[in-house]
Amino acid sequence: MTFETVGFWVVAAVLLASSLAVVLTKNLFHAVLYLAAALVATGTVFLLLDSPFLFGVQLLLYAGGVVTIVVFAIMLTERLIGERIAQTSRYVWHGAVVAAAVFVGVVGFLIEAPWPAPRPALPADLMPAIGRALVGPFAAALELLAVLLVIALLGALYFARPDD
Amino acid sequence: MRVIVWLPLLVLALPFAAFVLLAVVAPLRRAGRLAGGVSIAAIAAALAGALVVWSEGFRSDATWAWIPADDGPMATVGLLVDPLANAMLVLVTLVSLLVQVYSLAYLHDERAPALGRYYTYQSLFAFSMLGLVLSPSFIQMFVFWELVGLCSYLLIGYWYERPSAARAAVKAFWITKVGDLGFVIGIVMLWAATGTFEFEPLFAKAQEHALAIEGLGTIMVLIYLGAVGKSAQFPLHVWLPDAMEGPTPVSALIHAATMVTAGVFLVTRAQPLFALVPDVLTLIGWVGAFTALLAASLACVEDDIKRVLAYSTVSQLGYMMAAAGAGAPDASFLHLLTHGLFKALLFLGAGAVIHAVGTNDIFRMGGLFRAMPQTGVVFVVGACALAGLPPLAGFFSKEAILAGVWAAGMTGPFVMLALTVLLTAFYMARVVFLAFFGRAPAAGHPHEPPWAMRGPLWLLAGLTVLVGLRLALAEGGEPHGPGWLAPASVAAAAAGIALAWAMYQRGSVDPARVGATFPLSALGFMARRRYGLDALYGGLYRGFILGLSRLIGWIDRYLVDGVLNFGSAWTFRGGDRLRRIQSGQPQDYVYGVAFGVLLLLIWAQWWG
Amino acid sequence: MGLNAYLTLAALVFAIGLFGVLTRRNAIGILLGIELMLNAVNINLVAFARFHGDLAGLIFALFTIAITVAEVAVGLAIVIVIFRVRRTVEADRLDLLRG
Repeated sequence: MTFETVGFWVVAAVLLASSLAVVLTKNLFHAVLYLAAALVATGTVFLLLDSPFLFGVQLLLYAGGVVTIVVFAIMLTERLIGERIAQTSRYVWHGAVVAAAVFVGVVGFLIEAPWPAPRPALPADLMPAIGRALVGPFAAALELLAVLLVIALLGALYFARPDD
Repeated sequence: MRVIVWLPLLVLALPFAAFVLLAVVAPLRRAGRLAGGVSIAAIAAALAGALVVWSEGFRSDATWAWIPADDGPMATVGLLVDPLANAMLVLVTLVSLLVQVYSLAYLHDERAPALGRYYTYQSLFAFSMLGLVLSPSFIQMFVFWELVGLCSYLLIGYWYERPSAARAAVKAFWITKVGDLGFVIGIVMLWAATGTFEFEPLFAKAQEHALAIEGLGTIMVLIYLGAVGKSAQFPLHVWLPDAMEGPTPVSALIHAATMVTAGVFLVTRAQPLFALVPDVLTLIGWVGAFTALLAASLACVEDDIKRVLAYSTVSQLGYMMAAAGAGAPDASFLHLLTHGLFKALLFLGAGAVIHAVGTNDIFRMGGLFRAMPQTGVVFVVGACALAGLPPLAGFFSKEAILAGVWAAGMTGPFVMLALTVLLTAFYMARVVFLAFFGRAPAAGHPHEPPWAMRGPLWLLAGLTVLVGLRLALAEGGEPHGPGWLAPASVAAAAAGIALAWAMYQRGSVDPARVGATFPLSALGFMARRRYGLDALYGGLYRGFILGLSRLIGWIDRYLVDGVLNFGSAWTFRGGDRLRRIQSGQPQDYVYGVAFGVLLLLIWAQWWG
Repeated sequence: MGLNAYLTLAALVFAIGLFGVLTRRNAIGILLGIELMLNAVNINLVAFARFHGDLAGLIFALFTIAITVAEVAVGLAIVIVIFRVRRTVEADRLDLLRG
């Protein structure tokens, strides 16, 4: 039992538990918190996959930024209505069946795949490679991403303006 | 082309040219009497040509390919000129000319456009009939056969505003169509068996006994069926009396001398083929004789002068067919010619009477001989010819027929025909006595018809006498058949005339009392209802044909339209149901996406 | 742990996220489900990148995160606007696109 295996099982358990909690809990606020936990667990998975860079990015943007935004949104919407928003789910079993079916469908492919090979060796530091990739082959995508972010910012601003 | 070919072709083409001219040039047609003049000029020229052809005794067989096929043309058009055709040419053109001249006076009161239409039809008819007699093949004959039927329809229904005339035209068309159906099936079966429609090769093979075909009897019966329809044999005779709705000259031309004789002409023309199937000939003989007797009995109870003559025509056609069936086609054709003359005479004479008195009912006429002596004379001449009194033409041809039937040993038909002789004389004498003799009716002021009508009458009467004398001289006094036949038939005719004289002229025998005795009462009862045949046909028509129409209408409305309505209704409903998928709620759409993904996964799993 | 393990994990999280999207009544709850699904995709990308030695997976994951952030921002802005207009947050009530 290597460290990596144990770590995997622990992180997996945390991730799954928190994910289930996100979708099943009645209180929306609790759901957001559970989401934060799930995001952190995902970051840990990245760490297990030898990408500390992404672990950092995940924590910063997702666990930090997205969660904050959602919390704000909940606050605002609750304030507007003035009551706690109920979370009674709709047609639970239908959804469960469909989701399970999708899972089974995907796993069906995984089962047929050959037993995986072990991980190949890694260079020591990936950062320079990532940097060179971003400004190299993926430069156009990077620029477009920047444009997208600007547009999203403008859009959000526009939507959120007060009614004049 | 040699004279032999182009002269008959000219005879055929002249009425056709008149027809086309009148049909196309509307102002000419609407000019009425001018159109009549064109038509008469054409037919007169055609008559001249026909006389030349007949007297010179031309013979030719000129054909041109019509429907090309691999080994030789499938069908040809052309002319078959031989003595049979030549005689018919003269008869058709002569009677057509006389009738057209007569019509100028008879239809004097018609409006000009209508008169133009009449002459257009007359020209078309002349062309059609001439084409029929000159046909060298079954298929060409059939084409002209149908054309003649069309002309009959057009002319019977000339006064189309009258519902009775329109109905009579349709009835004639339908009934003859039944016969034509058999005719065309027979022709096609014959072609299927022999590969040709032409007369010459068929008859040549038949005479050499090289025509061994399965079911030739059936084929010939079917072909005979066409003659049954066209020549008004039992049971397809019912259209002829109703066809009297047309103008009287039309009746004289089409329903006495020419169109109805087409059936007899067909049987005579195809004699070599019929000779191969003696059973069919026997059938023809029996049907002909029975028709003769049946129609004669019906004529005895009619009050309408034209109807009497119509039934008389049916009866005489029966005579002709009986002769053909007995294997005496020459006698049959001779009677065709003589009957054409004196029946046309009688019809035109009746037309003069109707024109003068204003009614067809013989019981409303009387003493016309004093008022219209010339008409009376010619009418009596025609009546005597029809009754078969020597030395008029009718006597010789009827003699020949009776002799032929006797010689063939067909006693049943012979008896029927003999009885018919008596009845024929009786009903004609009845008409003559009631209409021309006796007391004049109170109303009406009858007068002689104009010369345009009298001329043809005298001409026909003269021909009747002349032909009779010619036949008498040709015979040299030698009668056909057994020695007792001639005196016996004359005696029968005289008996019939005497009976009519006693009943209607003298009044010594009361017709009503005679008619009340059995079996005459029963026969009279049935005869007055035309033996129920018309009712039967009417019932069949209403039952089957109208029933079929109703069925097809139902199918069209509920099945054919139903399929369409069904489809469109379900399109609506389906669209309505599908619309509910758009619930507007995004989660439902996600369901849709999820389903799609599942389907893709399954597909990839199985066929990936 | 092999590649398959990570992929299975990702599939599970994806399914759970899908379940959340389908069943949550609150619009924001649906957005949370979408977050989970996107996370699962990221795990997939990184796992493939690691096991095939290809950087492209990492770059894609990076982009995905950035785009997700933008999407969440705009999505929540829309949710807020809808609340202002319709005074409700329940997905059942938001059926203006009904056919």
